[in-house]
Amino acid sequence: QPPRPCEDYWGEWKHCRGLRHAFHHYYAHGELPSCGRWREDYEACRAWERHRAAAAQVPPGLLRHSPAARGCSYGEGYAPVWTLRKRPPPDWYLPLDQDKPN
Amino acid sequence: MEHGEGDSPTAAEKKGAAEEDDFGYRLFPDRNKKPQSFLVRSLFTFHNRCQVMLRMTLETNPYAQLLLEAMKQSGCTVFNDRHFSCENCDGCVSGGFDAATSQAGIVLCQNNIRQQSHMNRVVTHELIHAFDHCRAHVDWFKNVKHLACSEIRAANLSGDCTLMNEIARFKFGLKGHHQICVRDRAIRSILAVRKISKETAEKAVDEVFDACFNDLEPFGRIPHSKADARRAYRDFQNRHRYNANL
Repeated sequence: QPPRPCEDYWGEWKHCRGLRHAFHHYYAHGELPSCGRWREDYEACRAWERHRAAAAQVPPGLLRHSPAARGCSYGEGYAPVWTLRKRPPPDWYLPLDQDKPN
Repeated sequence: MEHGEGDSPTAAEKKGAAEEDDFGYRLFPDRNKKPQSFLVRSLFTFHNRCQVMLRMTLETNPYAQLLLEAMKQSGCTVFNDRHFSCENCDGCVSGGFDAATSQAGIVLCQNNIRQQSHMNRVVTHELIHAFDHCRAHVDWFKNVKHLACSEIRAANLSGDCTLMNEIARFKFGLKGHHQICVRDRAIRSILAVRKISKETAEKAVDEVFDACFNDLEPFGRIPHSKADARRAYRDFQNRHRYNANL
């Protein structure tokens, strides 16, 4: 199955083309957004649905778009600044020590 | 102590280089003091108001809800009475994240947060620091780049740098102004809690800016409004489905 229902890609494309999103994208990045990839992903998703029996795999294009869909939002191509933990900090749940100096 | 939102202290409050770095703890004089009696605290409306607004944020604000869910999934469930405290603070700070061992928690400045929208932003800002503390080995006290990265992310994703907030600060700009705001606020936050030169802070921010500005965890997008935050929250909740299909 594709990572998201096809309607999600359509919804993202519509959202991307909206005036409000265009404004915010221009404010954040200094350029207007390009939304074509959402439309391509939607078309690819629909095509996969139509030929589900024949197709063995989900088109790779559907997996590439949107880091959020891949469960990862790290900027691609950037070296991470810190190393990720394997376990949460051990003292997260410890009671506060009121007398401990700063 | 990581300085959250709000303006940095004035020059008069900055100490000489000969003194040790207090990591910003001077801004939070009530930290680590025994809490006053319930009766005394309940008489102070600032404390009550802070608690009520905090609860409203945690229960209804989509930014905070997404961060709480993300922290829970990372193994750091946030408990109101353990990880948040409303205190009086010096200067113009609005909040902070205390990363010291056994003290890890968020401080909210009850004397400086007066509106619900402000509380929403401060809580989101500090929860981003807490989230970074939970998921990564962040060396808050010795590595300025780590501090810079978390401050960039907090300014970027908490709504600190929306157009309306910048206009309210009399800072005007449109094309790509969000990034200018994020950079400036990150530098100010670092200078508020570390005794380093402005050049050092600027260098640290510039070195990590690209990587950290584009690190959008756990939102997946820069949320410019509550609607964006709700959309991001929905995507986050559906993430297990995405991962299962990869």
